[in-house]
Amino acid sequence: MNQSNVYIGLTSEDLRLRLHILTVFLIIFGLTALYSISDNPLSIESSFMRQSIFMIFSFIIYLLVRRIHLKVIHDNSTIIFLFTIGLCFIPFFLPKVEYTYRWIDLGFMTIQPSEYLKIGVIIVIAKYLSNHQLEMKTKSIIVIPGLLTLFASIVVLQQPDLGTAVIVCAPLIPMLLWAGVNAFVLFLVIAPIITIVAASNSILFSVWAVIMFLCFLVARPGVISGFILYFANIFAGLLTPFAWNILTDYQKQRVLTFLNPDLDPMGSAYHIIQSVTAIGSGGFFGKGFQQGSQTQLKFLPVQESDFILSVIAEEFGFLGIVVVMAVFFLFIKTLLDIAFRCSDYFSSIVIVGLASIFLSHLFVNSAMTVGLIPVKGLPLPFVSAGGSFLLSCFIMLGLITNLSENS
Amino acid sequence: MLKIDNKADIYTYRVLFFILCSLMIVLIGRYYYLQVVEYDRHFSKSQINRVKAVTTYASRGLIFDRNGELLVDNYPTYVLTVTPYKLDDKEKSFKELSSILNTKPDELDRRYKKYYRGRMLPTIIAKNLSFKQISEIEERKLEFNAFEYLPFNERIYPSSFSHSHIIGYLKEVDRDTIPSLDKSLLYRAGELIGWQGVEKQYERGLRYSKGVSYLEVDTYGREVFELEDGKIVALPGDDLYLSIDSRLQQFTKDLLEGQKGSVIMSHVNTGEILAMVSSPSYNLDIYRGTTSEEEWNNILTNSDKPLLNRSTGGLYPPGSPFKLITAFNLLENNFISESDSVMCSGSKEYGGIARGCWREDGHGLTDLKKAIAESCNIYFYEKVQLVSLEDWVSTAKIFGFNQATNIDLPAEKIGLIPDKDFFTTQYGRWGWSERGVLLNLTLGQGDLLITPIQSLRFINHIATRGQDTPKLRLNLNSQLTYYDSIQYSDRTWDYIENALFEAVNSNLGTARRALSTNQNIPFFAKTGTAQNPHGEPHAWFIGFFEFEGEKYSIVTIVENGGGGATVASPIAGDVVSYFINNNTYIANK
Repeated sequence: MNQSNVYIGLTSEDLRLRLHILTVFLIIFGLTALYSISDNPLSIESSFMRQSIFMIFSFIIYLLVRRIHLKVIHDNSTIIFLFTIGLCFIPFFLPKVEYTYRWIDLGFMTIQPSEYLKIGVIIVIAKYLSNHQLEMKTKSIIVIPGLLTLFASIVVLQQPDLGTAVIVCAPLIPMLLWAGVNAFVLFLVIAPIITIVAASNSILFSVWAVIMFLCFLVARPGVISGFILYFANIFAGLLTPFAWNILTDYQKQRVLTFLNPDLDPMGSAYHIIQSVTAIGSGGFFGKGFQQGSQTQLKFLPVQESDFILSVIAEEFGFLGIVVVMAVFFLFIKTLLDIAFRCSDYFSSIVIVGLASIFLSHLFVNSAMTVGLIPVKGLPLPFVSAGGSFLLSCFIMLGLITNLSENS
Repeated sequence: MLKIDNKADIYTYRVLFFILCSLMIVLIGRYYYLQVVEYDRHFSKSQINRVKAVTTYASRGLIFDRNGELLVDNYPTYVLTVTPYKLDDKEKSFKELSSILNTKPDELDRRYKKYYRGRMLPTIIAKNLSFKQISEIEERKLEFNAFEYLPFNERIYPSSFSHSHIIGYLKEVDRDTIPSLDKSLLYRAGELIGWQGVEKQYERGLRYSKGVSYLEVDTYGREVFELEDGKIVALPGDDLYLSIDSRLQQFTKDLLEGQKGSVIMSHVNTGEILAMVSSPSYNLDIYRGTTSEEEWNNILTNSDKPLLNRSTGGLYPPGSPFKLITAFNLLENNFISESDSVMCSGSKEYGGIARGCWREDGHGLTDLKKAIAESCNIYFYEKVQLVSLEDWVSTAKIFGFNQATNIDLPAEKIGLIPDKDFFTTQYGRWGWSERGVLLNLTLGQGDLLITPIQSLRFINHIATRGQDTPKLRLNLNSQLTYYDSIQYSDRTWDYIENALFEAVNSNLGTARRALSTNQNIPFFAKTGTAQNPHGEPHAWFIGFFEFEGEKYSIVTIVENGGGGATVASPIAGDVVSYFINNNTYIANK
């Protein structure tokens, strides 16, 4: 406790103020980009106006969430989880929207229930981890949160929504870490997955091998077991190319398309090519407000939601991106500070979970627009157009403010 | 507050902070690489070659009559579009263009606002460009760089006046209408949509499916190369064959010239409409965008309502043909024997009010058959006393009144068959009596309203003796379906058929004038002279005949025309004899 006070000089009130100022900046970035790409920004059907209206609606919900008593959230965490997962089952009984079971159409807006499931999972896991009778040093503590996350993730995967399913899993590791589970144990769990992914590219694999080596150095697991674990990972990576040859041509094609989008200019890689061209052609200073030829001529698909960053990158250049990234960086750092500054354990874990959600959205979305990972329909918090996700962002913000105020 | 203190330690905080920093470095690094290191490559790519998806169009389906005669064709015209973001000085450009296009700048501005799609998307602001206009614009290409002329398919109507109500017209989709349209058909402002008639009814089939071509274009939008991958070919709409015989239609139209009203003829055995004329009609060309405001107002404010399709949308009191509703009631319930007669002396008192027959010297001793054939009012005043309002209303509804015939045309009216509830709301609980209103209803007067197409369905039910009456239709290739059958005894059908035969074939029959030129065919009909508050009575004729083993039916109404016997019957007779004398081409389907 004392440690945290020493480390972060700001009061939690200052931190909350800073968080909200940063949020306002993000909203301004988003609306500016939306205004730029709307043909007729002031008509009620433009994404700019719709976003503004959703913003007001979401803000009201945010104020309501802020007022819920912390104890109510804590004591009803299981109910909240069951409620949000129940919501996710509703679309299966409704007609498909855009060929999937992701959405509930309310008429004036569509709701994506999996957005709220993320919050439900975090709350229920935080309650479990904050139980004072738990012994953090036992490795079995991973089991229940792991199974809960896996279950939620599988439900979302059935909709099918790979992007959100990945996001649902993202908070697990940071929350476990925060709760005091041995970092090295967690590292051993996820290291093989990263190894296999990294094995596709020799540069990436080398970087990963170095990072892994540093981790082993820091953790000092003992010379023999360390050696075995480290080289087991390296070998797994080296064997991956052989495993690759077992794949069918069709499967290979899909992976290759991702790695080299130029192979399939009209397919889903079309999005990546257009996005990368838009971003790259923006240069250092950008082409200027409403001057991005790629975005303005509609070469970029779903530019108002998933590819909003490409719009910003083309029109405001690298400079604009650095500003946006800096704001996001400070935003997430502030969340960590708030979590660290929190006197209440449950609140602290929830905030770390929510911070991971924001971070993973930011990373997956930006990595997608710059072609680092395959196209996943994940929006950018507070910036992308989309009522359902904006609402969930405001709920998360409300929750964070609430928890930090009450503890 | 929840008892448990925060146990997070500074090392975990640093681990997460480290992860945050490394992810940020990866992202910023990638952006730096793309935007700074590889800038030239991407910039030139964005300038020179980029793939653009372009919508391609095909032609709308054509419309033919039953003999394969072309009723609606497409022809290519040129339209002028403007791309808003290239427009530097809108007012000046519009002013100069308007002198080339012979129109007002305001008109261009109005269309510009109406069809606006987006800053980067071309908006249609003028249509039907002549070759001279195109060349003038081409000469000043640099000055008019925001404008472009494009080929655009318009409808052309070889014989539009007579078919106008059936075919209907197309309308340009604009910003206000788009939200209400079927999303699956992907309308965009400036495209055409069927707005009336079969053009609307069969929009889904007639409309082309749009295609997509992927073009590599340079930064000025010039097309450099077309990619074959992922291309979707635009497909033309399906052609539509109508059951209409256009020569019969034209003949009928000419016959009604100068009068208001409707004539519909159908093939009873299939429900196909052979002719459907609503008069006055209008020239479909008025919808091609070249009609001036003044002409428009003339059409819209014309008290003869030329735009109204009277056949399906005109509401009239039914008049004497509705005596058959009472007749069906009397016969089917055995309220009368065949020899029951009533003495008609020209007038009779009911409830203290004298009511007259149209024939002032009276029909003499009259039985039901004579009462139908010669349209005696007194007989029905007398006998309707046996019938309850409820039965009477339900009989009228059995024959399809007060419901849509479901003919394949939009905006069909269903009319009104007043029942107890209606009278009570309209006149109050004590403001009417069942006997009193039935005296009016039995003559087809009072609050009744029907459409000509409903009368046609009515006579088709009689012609088929209530069994397997095909639904009325205009699409020659649509499925044959049937109305609900009507289960009456053979005696009832025989009796009515005989009475209708008498109406045409006896010397005093009111429909005899329909026969004059059609001596050799079995012809059954009923006329009507419907009183109405707008002046002269409406003249009705409904009937059917047999020809070469098939049954055909015809309904005629002439608004404010006078007597059904003297005005409507001869028109029906002429149409039928034209049909019979020119049957060779009708029979080929």
